[in-house]
Formats: sequence, C-alpha cells, structure tokens
Amino acid sequence: MRLKFCYLLLAILTAGLISESQDTFRFAIIGDTGTGGSGEYQIAEKLTGSVKEFPFDTVLMLGDNIYGGETPSDFRKKFEKPFQGLLTAGVKFYATLGNHDQPPRQIDYKHFNMGGKRYYSFKPKADVRFFSLDSNYMDPEQLAWLEKELKMSGSDWKIVFFHHPIYSSGEKHGSNLELREILEPVMVRNGVDVVLTGHEHFYERIKPQKGINYFIIGSSAKLREGNIGKTELTGKGFDADNVFMLAQIAGNNLTFRVITRKGAVVDSGTIQRAERARKQSSALK
Amino acid sequence: MEPIVHVLKYDYLESHKKRVCMFVLYCSLLVAILFGSGPLDEFEKRVDQYAKLHKEIDHKVPDLKKETDPKVIVQREKEFADGIRAARPLARQGDIFIPAVQPMFREIIKQETSGEAGRKNRSMILGEGNPKGPEAETSPKIVIHGPYPSAAPLSTVPPSVLKRLPLLPESLQYRFIGRTLILWDTTGNFIVDFMADAIR
Repeated sequence: MRLKFCYLLLAILTAGLISESQDTFRFAIIGDTGTGGSGEYQIAEKLTGSVKEFPFDTVLMLGDNIYGGETPSDFRKKFEKPFQGLLTAGVKFYATLGNHDQPPRQIDYKHFNMGGKRYYSFKPKADVRFFSLDSNYMDPEQLAWLEKELKMSGSDWKIVFFHHPIYSSGEKHGSNLELREILEPVMVRNGVDVVLTGHEHFYERIKPQKGINYFIIGSSAKLREGNIGKTELTGKGFDADNVFMLAQIAGNNLTFRVITRKGAVVDSGTIQRAERARKQSSALK
Repeated sequence: MEPIVHVLKYDYLESHKKRVCMFVLYCSLLVAILFGSGPLDEFEKRVDQYAKLHKEIDHKVPDLKKETDPKVIVQREKEFADGIRAARPLARQGDIFIPAVQPMFREIIKQETSGEAGRKNRSMILGEGNPKGPEAETSPKIVIHGPYPSAAPLSTVPPSVLKRLPLLPESLQYRFIGRTLILWDTTGNFIVDFMADAIR
C-alpha cells in the first residue's frame, strides 16, 4: 500500500514537472554583439555555458549583429565562431537590423532566421509571438504591417524587438522621440507586453510606460561605461560590464535575469501579464 | 407644397455638388501649379521602370532559399548588381531624381529637419549611422551603380521624412551619405541615383 502511494506521488510530481517544462518557453537576449572582440567572445561563452542549467532554444539579437565589414569571414569571426556551441546545439537565433547591419547580407542569412525580410514575426510557442522591426527605416508600409500583425495576433504575449530604444536614459543617444511618436500608439493600442532594444551600450530596465515594459540590452560586446544619465525612466541600470539576458515565460509570468560575462546577476524580476490590462486602461485615462 | 420643396431640395443639392466639384478641381489645379505634380509623377514613373528591371534581373540570378553561407549571398548580390549595370549602361545622375523633382525633395527634407522640432531628425540623419558621420570608418564613393561597402554604416531615415517622400518599392530605399540623398538598391547593395545637398 505504502509502495503504491509512493508510485502515485512520484507519478503526480513527474507529470507536474513535464507539464511545467512543456508550458515554459525559455529564451536569451543579446544586443550589439558583432564586434568579434573579447567582450563578445566572453559573453558568448557564458551564454553557451548557461544553456545547461537554463535550457533555452531561442536567442534574440537586438541589432548591430555584425560591425564593420560583412564579408564571409566577418560572419565567421563575429558570429559563427563565438556562438558555435549554441549553433551546434540547435539553438535558433532571430536577428533584428541595427544601424551597422547591411540588410542584403543579413536578411537571407539562414542563422539569423529573418526569412529574407527586414521585419517579420514568429511564434515559437502557442501563446507567445515576437515581432522584429527595422527601426532604421520605419516607412509607412512597415508601420501598417505592424498594426495589422499585432491586431491579427491571437497570442497572449506580444514581444516586440528592434534596435533603437524609444525610452532611454543614455547620455550618448537617449530616447528616440521620433520613433516613439509613431510606434508607441500602435503598441499601446494593441497590447504589447514587452519591448526589447539595443543601440545604447549598456543595460537599462525602464519603468513601465503606458503598460509596456522596456528593456535596453545593448552591451553584449561593446560597453559605454558610466553612460546612463539620471532620469526618472530608470527602473534599473547597469553600465559597468557586458551583459546578456535570460528569460522564461510560463503562463502569466515572464521572469528574467541579466547576467554579466563574469556570471554576476545584475538585475532580475518578474513581469505579470495579468497587470497588462490594468496598466493599459490607466495609461489611456 | 411638398413637390416644390422636393424640387428645391434637389436643385440645391445639385448646385451644391457642382460647387464642391469645382472647388476640388480648383484646389487640384492650385496644388499642381504651386507644387508641380508633374515632376513627382515622372519620378514615380521612373521608379516603377527601375522596379520592373529589378524584378527581371532578380529572376535571372539564382534564388537564395534561406542561405547559410555568406559567400553565396555575397556572390548573388554581385551577380545581381552586375546584371543591373549591364542593363543600364548609360545610367547617369538625375535619371530618377530628375532635376525638376529635386527642389521638391529638398523642401520636404528642409521642412522636416528645421527648427526645434526638426533638430532630432537632423541629428538622426547626420549622426552616428551616417557613413560620413563622426564614428564612421568607411564611406561609399558616391557614383551611379557604385557599391555600398559592407563596412560602411547606414544612415537612419526619420519616419516623418519617409512619410512625406514618395513611396518606394521594397527593393529601393532612401538613405543619406553625408548631405547627399541616395536611392539605394537593397538587393544589389549599390547606389542607383543620388541628389547632392539634399539636407542643408
């Protein structure tokens, strides 16, 4: 009887674990990586190491994926070589274009999974959809596409990623107000949960703006030390080392950790989807 | 009484319609005279012609089905660009940015980059992404069908400028090299046409 009870308990626990892992989607985020320098290689090594304890199969690249030349050897040195371990393990990278990226070379490159398009969306899991935009060239057609895609998307989680931050405390660049003026209304109107950007070579978590959570992760290779100015926008800022982000979506929660190349966790937290509707309605008031 | 009211109403509506039509016609003529719709039409016509040629050449070079090897991508880019060069041996500056359309473009860009509101747009165009900007290491040589070096950054074009300039097909984009506006072929990675001093 006792043995039967133990088996039953084990079965319940195992079922719970299996269902949790099936419902969980894990991904990593890197930005402004393509230098081919030591910062990129160290971040790539740390990221590759973290896949054992945090098994993710998707990496988002937030632009400036290949700096300088984009010859075949540049692709090897600045992407394939540092991320070889993850590529071999079958991890898929999804890139967005930065101001240092050449669309003709990158949109067709298989490892960037852009499907030959400057802007695209993909759905890695039933209730999660990502939208990659080309913020270098936000023409009316792209904006109309985003509005349509967001509207059509039945996904519960809507995560948009592009290169130029529309909220930033960076002293070098700061918020891109032009882009904010046209993108923010579309994203608020259509219930975007999270926006991921790069461009600024530091990490910043912006306090939620009109119900949307903004992150800047632009220091996965380059670093602009001490560049985060004092503003009311910052939820958490870190500009002392290179970082990447690990994130996990499970039901209504998105949990994240921001990790340096030395392995220190500099920010972490949970975003709850349930808060979205409330935040949106208060933002609209 | 009722039929008279009906006739009166009908007459009034008809004459009102006529007045509206005349007003729209006068407005269109005024716009055409003041801003010259002709050059813009001609510009769009030439863009369409180029887009057709682009499509033709694009069909002739091998398709890239999610290509892994950057060597193949670069090779295709070159083959495509060579195809266009061969098909437009007499191409000259101003073939698409015809002289008559240039003042219109300059005016639009001036309006979007002047004053306090335009300050950000101006720095966006001339700033970091511009290949003649402060941080750029390489800049393309501005010549017709000249390649855009992969080491050169690409200028960001403000959405409000893009909203006002004539729409382009997906194969072409407006970009800036210094103060020069270029028409950039995104498949072949080369300059199709350019207009000097587009932003002053």
